[in-house]
Amino acid sequence: MKIGLEVHLQLPTVSKLFCSCSTSGNGPNTSICPTCLGFPGSRPKLNRRALEMTIMISRFLDCRISERSWFSRKTYFYPDLPKNFQITQYESPIGVEGGYSFNGKIVRITRVHLEEDPGKIKRVGKSGEEVSLIDYNRSGIPLVEIVTAPDITSPSEAREFMADLLIELRHLVGLSERDEQTVRVDANISVGEERVEIKNILGLKNLERGLSFEASRQNKMLKAGRRIVRETRNFDEERRVTTPARSKESEEDYGYILEPDLGVYQVSSMAKTVQVPETPLKRAERLSAEYGIDRNSIRQIVLTSSTLTDFLERLCSNMPPEIAVTWVLGPLSSNWKYLERSLNEDLSNRIENTIQMVIRGDITDSEARMRIGAFARGGGAETTQDSKERSSLAELVSECIDQTPQVLFDFNSNKRAANFIIGQIMRETKGKYSSSEIVETVNKEIERRLKDRVII
Amino acid sequence: MFSELIDEVPSDSSFKFNFSAKDNLCTIDFQTRAGSRILDGYRPPFDATPVSRLRRAGGLLIGKTNMDEFGFGTFCTNSGYGVPRNPFDIERSCGGSSGGAAAAACLLEDHLSLGVSTGGSISCPASFCGVVGLTPTYGRVSRYGLVDYGNSLDKVGILARSSSMIKNHFPTIAGSDPMDPTSCAQPTLDLDDTQIDSIAVPREAMENIHPSVRDSFLRALDIMRDQLSIDIHEVTIPSLRFALPAYYVLATSEASTNLARYCGMRFGVRGDDVTQHFNDYFSSVRSKNFGKEAKRRILLGTYSRMVGFRNRYYLKALSVRQTTISDYARVLKEHDVVATPTMPFIAPRFSEIERMKPIEMYRADFLTVPPNLAGLPHISVPCGYVDSMPTGMQLVSRHWSEGTLLNIANLWEGVFQYRFPGAQQ
Repeated sequence: MKIGLEVHLQLPTVSKLFCSCSTSGNGPNTSICPTCLGFPGSRPKLNRRALEMTIMISRFLDCRISERSWFSRKTYFYPDLPKNFQITQYESPIGVEGGYSFNGKIVRITRVHLEEDPGKIKRVGKSGEEVSLIDYNRSGIPLVEIVTAPDITSPSEAREFMADLLIELRHLVGLSERDEQTVRVDANISVGEERVEIKNILGLKNLERGLSFEASRQNKMLKAGRRIVRETRNFDEERRVTTPARSKESEEDYGYILEPDLGVYQVSSMAKTVQVPETPLKRAERLSAEYGIDRNSIRQIVLTSSTLTDFLERLCSNMPPEIAVTWVLGPLSSNWKYLERSLNEDLSNRIENTIQMVIRGDITDSEARMRIGAFARGGGAETTQDSKERSSLAELVSECIDQTPQVLFDFNSNKRAANFIIGQIMRETKGKYSSSEIVETVNKEIERRLKDRVII
Repeated sequence: MFSELIDEVPSDSSFKFNFSAKDNLCTIDFQTRAGSRILDGYRPPFDATPVSRLRRAGGLLIGKTNMDEFGFGTFCTNSGYGVPRNPFDIERSCGGSSGGAAAAACLLEDHLSLGVSTGGSISCPASFCGVVGLTPTYGRVSRYGLVDYGNSLDKVGILARSSSMIKNHFPTIAGSDPMDPTSCAQPTLDLDDTQIDSIAVPREAMENIHPSVRDSFLRALDIMRDQLSIDIHEVTIPSLRFALPAYYVLATSEASTNLARYCGMRFGVRGDDVTQHFNDYFSSVRSKNFGKEAKRRILLGTYSRMVGFRNRYYLKALSVRQTTISDYARVLKEHDVVATPTMPFIAPRFSEIERMKPIEMYRADFLTVPPNLAGLPHISVPCGYVDSMPTGMQLVSRHWSEGTLLNIANLWEGVFQYRFPGAQQ
């Protein structure tokens, strides 16, 4: 089975590709101007940032960068396309002949080019009386098209490929998770000789479902001795089937010509000034090779957070990598949300020292875990309990103090006054919490109240 | 002559001069229909840059001048809004496509007409109406707000009764404009006087010219040589013969994409039946509202860029353009300007035009098309009168050297008297 993908990714620029309209409209048709509506006499001006992002993506995908690149007009009539031609690239894509290594093989990248998105059509009204509404906010948003060779061999692989590629692209151009819907894929699939194109698939799940359906449809046809015709099909998300797209009367001919209003861009010289940051999965690959870390573990770490990966790199340079990985995947990973907030050199040192102490045998594993848990809560060497239990212990302590507030007055002169509360809690919880844990919680709460003067 | 005119000239005289704009230049206060029915009622939300610059310099826009639909024509007979008539003889054409602009420049004293040329639409009507018409270097004047015909060829210029009026106002409209990236690569405009030593006359330009027009052109050259001491040299520019077909391929290819946007949605006229499938709706609006010549050029252009023909026509035309540019460069290295008659005949009668085939009309542009294809600046000046009708001489100079043209036109005006209808002769 051969599968090739055409991935369309909206670039998260502030303004549109050829005008200064914002890329985030507030309600339908609010972010529009003569240029993105194609009014007579309006002209495109290229958004350099979009060009830079496309160069960055091309270089990331190991593409050869065109020496010179220009734009072309692709003419077809459709109501969402204001000029009835799309400004895209034809003979001179930004990047060509690249490759993306994935699953131990290389998926070849045929081309990477930049183009404008058309508007969006919405069908509303009862069946039979539907009308189409068009929102041109999307018209002119920069779109990168990445075309792969048919090197993918199964629907699940297509999904994994897209998932990986998205992780990388999201990091490269600064796309948030919620922008995933802005990725649209056209997929070409052939089981036998002839290929079929499935248009406009949204999301990873649909990509796999659409391809699976199409693969089995083609297989069944071949088994039944029928011929597969080359055609374009749509994927119906609800019914999870592909259906033939309205067939065209004649072969599609877009009559490409140069876009005369935009110049020729010396992209290869621009490419020299564009930095390609290390992406999460590339980093995982590098760390795996450098420190001999198992692929799945390192992948999990880089996907958790880039600062956690930074910390792993720090640890790896000072201790055996397998120990570093164990701690990073374990207590550090589970507490990272909190640790990251107050992460500075001092905290980093304290965490590293704690692990070094375990390595030297100064403290036990569980003690170290407790300390790390405490760091996460911004306190001293507290125990690590799950947060639900901890909060219920704190609540109990708080209730108990509320009932016997004179403890707070006594505590000032005699710290043992706390013992009354401690005893009560111990009786009530019947060994659910360790004594040290209770002592600590009670002392902490009394001190807090005295400090904040929350007496009653 | 005007497709829309100001109701009343404001009584306060804060305006320093008045001007008109060809109807394909966007204006907030007048409709902008580019001679086409499909844009009937269209009021753009912005002014074209040349218009706004003239307004800012104290100009009063008095109206929009009639033109061939989208610039498609040589005689201004392809407008959706009537046919302007030649001020010298109302039975004859003004020339096109800036016909209304040339007629206004001829009839109104001290009037500045903004015209637009793609393949000769300033030179041709200037010649037929006996006025001066400057077509600048491609990219010298911003095209922001110009309704596109062929974007890689379109140039906004000026028509007026004298070169000095053009010289006064040309710096106002020239210069880079961030709204049109193709205007941002230009060198500074230099209109200082320069020495004019040598004029080249291509042999190819003397063929297929009406004898009386050729004689009037040759007499003008004699005056230049005798009274202005400018050397006249015969040269050969072979690519002139191929410029015409290359131009029509490129211009119609671009035009056919530019005109795709007119479909009865968003702006301009609307169709009657919005319940139709969009394909049928678009077709019905376009069939009803585009004129015959517009349809012809859309078909020509679409054909030239189709798979299978693209290499033979569109891409070949691009390479002919390069050859034409280098041929001119070779000649202009040794000579200051290249001179030819502007049009091969005087303004024809409407009855004669009716009998012409499209290909004959296209051929009439064979002298105005080459400098347009090469993006070179050129000027047409009246150079003689045949049967009381003006003839024109077209002068072409190096890229960006509009100053040379205005200078030589000014020298010419010192030795040759222009005539205007109604004036004592």
